[in-house]
Amino acid sequence: MASDKKQPDGQKFALESAKQQALWQREFQQIVADVQGQALGPNWTANSSPRNIGLPLPRNDVLYKVRGTARYAANISMDGMLYGRFVRSQEPHARILNIDVSAATQAPGVHAILTADEIPQDRLLVGTHDNDTPILAKDRVRYVGEPIVAIVAESVEQAQQACDLVEVEYESLPVIFTPEEAIIVGAYQIDAEAEGNIITEHRHDVGDVDAAFAAADIVLENTFTTEPIDHCFLEAQAGLAFVDSGGTLNLLVSTQYPHFHHEQLARVTGLPMEKIRVIQTVVGGAFGGKIDDTIECASCLLALKTSRPVSMTLTREEVFIATTKRHRLKFRQKLAATKEGHLTALELDILCDGGAYRSYSRVVAGRCVVHAGMPYRFPNLRVHFMTAFTNHVPSGSMRSFGVVKMAFALESHLTELAAKIGISPIEIRKRNGFVDGDVISTGQVLQDVGLLKTLAEIEPIYERRKRELAGVHGQGQMNPGRKRGLGVACLGYGIGYSGIRNPSTARLAVSADGFVTAFCGTPDIGTGSDMALTQIAAEALDIDLGRLRVVSGDSTKTDDSGPTSASRTTYFSGNAVCLASEDFKRQFCTAVAEKTGCLPAQVRIDNDRVIVQNEPLAFEQACRLIADDVDAIVGYGKFDPDIEIDISTYQGNAYPTYTYGTHLVEIEVDEELGSVDVVRYWAAHDGGVIVNPIGAEGQVEGGIVQGLGMALWEKIVRQEGFIVNPHYRDYLLPGAMDIPGELSVWFVETYDRTGPFGAKGLAEASIIPTPGAIAGAISNAVGVWPRGIPMESEKILELMGHYSADAAKSATVKGQPREPR
Amino acid sequence: MSVDISLRVNGAEHRLAVEPTETLVNVLRNRLGMTGTHKDCTMGICGACTILLNGQPVSSCLLLACQADGEAIRTIEGLERDGALSLLQEAFLRYGAVQCGFCTPGFLMIAVALLEKNPKPDRNEIIDALKGNLCRCTGYTKIVDAIEFVANN
Ligand code: FES
Ligand code: FES
Repeated sequence: MASDKKQPDGQKFALESAKQQALWQREFQQIVADVQGQALGPNWTANSSPRNIGLPLPRNDVLYKVRGTARYAANISMDGMLYGRFVRSQEPHARILNIDVSAATQAPGVHAILTADEIPQDRLLVGTHDNDTPILAKDRVRYVGEPIVAIVAESVEQAQQACDLVEVEYESLPVIFTPEEAIIVGAYQIDAEAEGNIITEHRHDVGDVDAAFAAADIVLENTFTTEPIDHCFLEAQAGLAFVDSGGTLNLLVSTQYPHFHHEQLARVTGLPMEKIRVIQTVVGGAFGGKIDDTIECASCLLALKTSRPVSMTLTREEVFIATTKRHRLKFRQKLAATKEGHLTALELDILCDGGAYRSYSRVVAGRCVVHAGMPYRFPNLRVHFMTAFTNHVPSGSMRSFGVVKMAFALESHLTELAAKIGISPIEIRKRNGFVDGDVISTGQVLQDVGLLKTLAEIEPIYERRKRELAGVHGQGQMNPGRKRGLGVACLGYGIGYSGIRNPSTARLAVSADGFVTAFCGTPDIGTGSDMALTQIAAEALDIDLGRLRVVSGDSTKTDDSGPTSASRTTYFSGNAVCLASEDFKRQFCTAVAEKTGCLPAQVRIDNDRVIVQNEPLAFEQACRLIADDVDAIVGYGKFDPDIEIDISTYQGNAYPTYTYGTHLVEIEVDEELGSVDVVRYWAAHDGGVIVNPIGAEGQVEGGIVQGLGMALWEKIVRQEGFIVNPHYRDYLLPGAMDIPGELSVWFVETYDRTGPFGAKGLAEASIIPTPGAIAGAISNAVGVWPRGIPMESEKILELMGHYSADAAKSATVKGQPREPR
Repeated sequence: MSVDISLRVNGAEHRLAVEPTETLVNVLRNRLGMTGTHKDCTMGICGACTILLNGQPVSSCLLLACQADGEAIRTIEGLERDGALSLLQEAFLRYGAVQCGFCTPGFLMIAVALLEKNPKPDRNEIIDALKGNLCRCTGYTKIVDAIEFVANN
């Protein structure tokens, strides 16, 4: 099947190009219609309730997902499309002396080979914030896995075979694998512009920390560590690039932020913005990992070069080796309190492995600084946060942007403090937790804080389980050699970007047959945000849900509304949809008034009818009435809350609102093996008014289970810059058998005055308390405090003084290497 | 050198010539255009590519297409009956067992296999059956709930 290059096939495409173009055009239009049709809106009108908010409505996209017809990027193919693969660096840090592609050029099926030399220097670099990352490495590679050459061929196999024929000649350079080494004076400078290898450094100082420590009754101080972890969305990065007959470059891609790629592609290709269209396909999970450039620019450049559709999908191994990771952190935390259990000071000194390029390092740092001490009152606070370059794959954004790691340390200390002064872990949190009117370290005053409500929900369960464990089983002893423990942790998390404006916009349009479409830039990445926006729009317009369609994540049809990240979509885009609804209703009612000869004030939409001077019309009747004018009606809404932090003082409004929660976990530790079983789990969240309870519950459950993985098993292991466990066999994800037998999630009733119908947003937050809660439970069970995550069995045994290599080897109850079926 | 094989997929017969090294998942997806079966790890660990081979769940990324010559294969595309969702699909939809949905085909197929073998599994039996499938979004609870609902109905 391996055909020679250029020949029959190549000719076919050249000779019949007009016909081929027409075929592609049809194919492509069908694909786009399919992709967007699947996201559009309810195919059912099952919602008989007049209300749309707070109902567990099933999602439209899921219909296609259970049928097996969902349009994920790698499921899309076009006639004669080519497949791209990368040649990647085998060196952690080296000068590239020569790239020999001659053998690859001759390889069967190869159509084009792209190296950095072909890309003008001012178009070579991409990046979310800094444009510091080459699409393909030019003179130097900075980490193992960095892309150097991209090749397209007629099959994936041929492309890979050609890649294997490329010879790269390297000259090794000094390597740096820890941020500690990176910041030593005289260390090799990895990035030309980063003196001292510092990617970002932040200081935040409130009150008089030194005086508070001097006056404190109790001081706790420890060093905490966390390991890099992978997002492990199951769908690897994938996309299809296609230049249509009109010369427009189209990219169908699995992403969290189509407009980001749109802007980057314009710069990289030199094409005007309107000649580029980026459309989000169905996304198979993201969690912060689909927000950087991976295949986007390379596949588009190759599509331009070959005039053929180009498909690129990373392999699972590539996702592990060459896409961003959660930062590895090492930090010292020092906390002061009075003997009554009031927190007085917190000091944090954090050093972070940023990897070889900047990616989201600055964003992670900024968020961590603002979240230091959250969700508790610390009158005195000092944070020093530094991220340095190393020769590792770049660290980037991942669910909660680092806050989960800070919470691990903070919640550990809180629980330890409670034990020291003899109060319950709930009580210490009640005494210090945020309430309405509290002022956070940036000077922002909080409102609509539901933290104590979540604690109040958890407290009776904690007390009951504590009694039961002590009474029935004595000392929490369930089975011989196994000890139970309870752990509590809280969370407070800001919605949206940290301290910078990040508006979202929405447009609402209506058709003559009575359907309303909401256009919004923030894509649904699998969380159900399109459904939430549909529900919000139906509620705001007061029309039947079945009339609503959503188009999201299309750079041509929607405005840039920012990414779907930072738990912002329900809140930011939901608010934009609400504002657009008001604008829409005004225009709509005016149009109906004109046609019916009354005043706009005499027309209103009510429960899916249009009331004209007290006469009800069916909504579609009213739409038919104004059929000639419907196209002119476009409701526009922009939600742009006043968010700004002065980076020099860290003062200002950090986020428009915050979500809160309390988790309680019951675990069982095997004293011989050191392994931890999570037996029960309770989570109470304040996400404001919940738009779709089943969706919200799913977000929380998923976050908890990711948190369990992070707390107990997950870690990227590296040796000399190489990731040694780039596959699920040795990178241990939680499986169905690892989930607690009882997992209860509920939402406390709060109404956020600034949110769409009182909603806040909560998608990321549920991961935050999990590691801290488990650490507390381990200490409660066996009396030791793990200070690093993952809290592996060997570490627990070692802390207990029971460590033996044999026991560690047999500690395979949970988190064992997986075997293929 | 290619091999002529015949695959019976969801009752329909497909005759085709495959390379001896081609995996079943690639043939289903690339040759037959049946992209409902997903592919992630290609190591038999994630379960996204689970299909039924003569009623047994297997990872189609580990199976060569020629090994399935003449055998009966079932995929997610064969679950609907006359255009209507099966009870299991309906339950996944209603119970929130699907978020990004990339794992869903594998979970549906493993659940079909389980329920055919054991129509009334208890929760532990369900969890045990799912141990070869990964889901990063849902935390599994709602997947188990959905299957349990079908078992009880
Ligand atoms: S792709 Fe087959 S098990 Fe993962
Ligand atoms: S729903 Fe996303 S992996 Fe399962």
